[in-house]
Amino acid sequence: MADETGLFVYGVVPADVEATPDAAGVGEAPGEVTVIRHGDIAALVSAVPLDAPLGRPADLRAYQDLLDGTAVVAPVLPVRFGTVVTGPDAVLDLLRPHHDRFAAALAEFEGRVQYVVHGRFEERTLLRGILDENPTAAGLAEQVRGRAEAASREPRIRLGELISQAVELRREAENRRLLDVTAEHVVSTQLRPPSHEMDAAHVALLVDTDREAVLVDALEEYAQHRRGLLRLRLLGPFAPYDFVGAHQLAG
Amino acid sequence: MTLVPGDDAVGGALERVGSAGGLADVVETVLDKGVVIDAQVTIGVVGIPLVEINARVVVASIETYLRFAEAVDRLDIAPDEGEGLSGLLGGVTGAVRDVTGSVGDAAGTVRDLGRS
Repeated sequence: MADETGLFVYGVVPADVEATPDAAGVGEAPGEVTVIRHGDIAALVSAVPLDAPLGRPADLRAYQDLLDGTAVVAPVLPVRFGTVVTGPDAVLDLLRPHHDRFAAALAEFEGRVQYVVHGRFEERTLLRGILDENPTAAGLAEQVRGRAEAASREPRIRLGELISQAVELRREAENRRLLDVTAEHVVSTQLRPPSHEMDAAHVALLVDTDREAVLVDALEEYAQHRRGLLRLRLLGPFAPYDFVGAHQLAG
Repeated sequence: MTLVPGDDAVGGALERVGSAGGLADVVETVLDKGVVIDAQVTIGVVGIPLVEINARVVVASIETYLRFAEAVDRLDIAPDEGEGLSGLLGGVTGAVRDVTGSVGDAAGTVRDLGRS
């Protein structure tokens, strides 16, 4: 059986990547982040106790900070959070059989980072717009107005369902617009599922770093254009979390 | 809602969020992503206890429908014209100038609702 500690694997990087001394790992008493190399590739790892649960907010942040910090200077393939192996030999066992595939994927991410665009509808503007366009919903809104929920449950549910459908259609349209606006500035896109009922758009973008400024300008213009209808946030730069596909699943 | 008052930004409709995003952002960004190592095949992968984090949000349910209906109900009792909008802006004065373009549209909607 394994001893007390294991190695938490953050990601795969090119072999010339060095861990900076200030890089903090996951865990209550974060271990030093080190690099284990094999051929042209390497893994970023740190020691963790095997019995202490991981996944506290601080752990997630440490994991993300390390990967994102790496992504702006070198390509990195994130390894799924929570991947722990017994020791350095196990890391090599992991790198060896997938060397060429990992190296090819890293070459693909060279000079590229991920951004996430997250748009949220302004609730009142959205609802007013929907009621304006949908007489049935407007009629139901009249029926439930000022009535207690218990006394108007059925029309409320029907109203809510109509609105939900309308929101979904608008969300699809919004995501399409966003993809159109960004298409010429990005390498690849990945639609994300909505994480809130007022989500207007949620898209991950893979971007060449020399196109970042142009992308930001385009998004700013778009945000201006949609102002009042939705609020647009730009998150990143990130490691390419959404672009490490199932084909890179390592057996 | 956080409208960032653009002290440096010109216009600044796009809100930039660096690595200091909220926990929800972190969870959405990193959980269930990345290369998966199959513990069945690769020797040396150990299971460690993970704090359970449920990032899944159901966006279509009876509860959602009722919340939407409730939001519509709130709309109807909101004051007419500009006042509702100042509520929307949450008193962020710096942003008022920037949303002027949309105020007209929304105010029109308010009037229509008021008449119906």
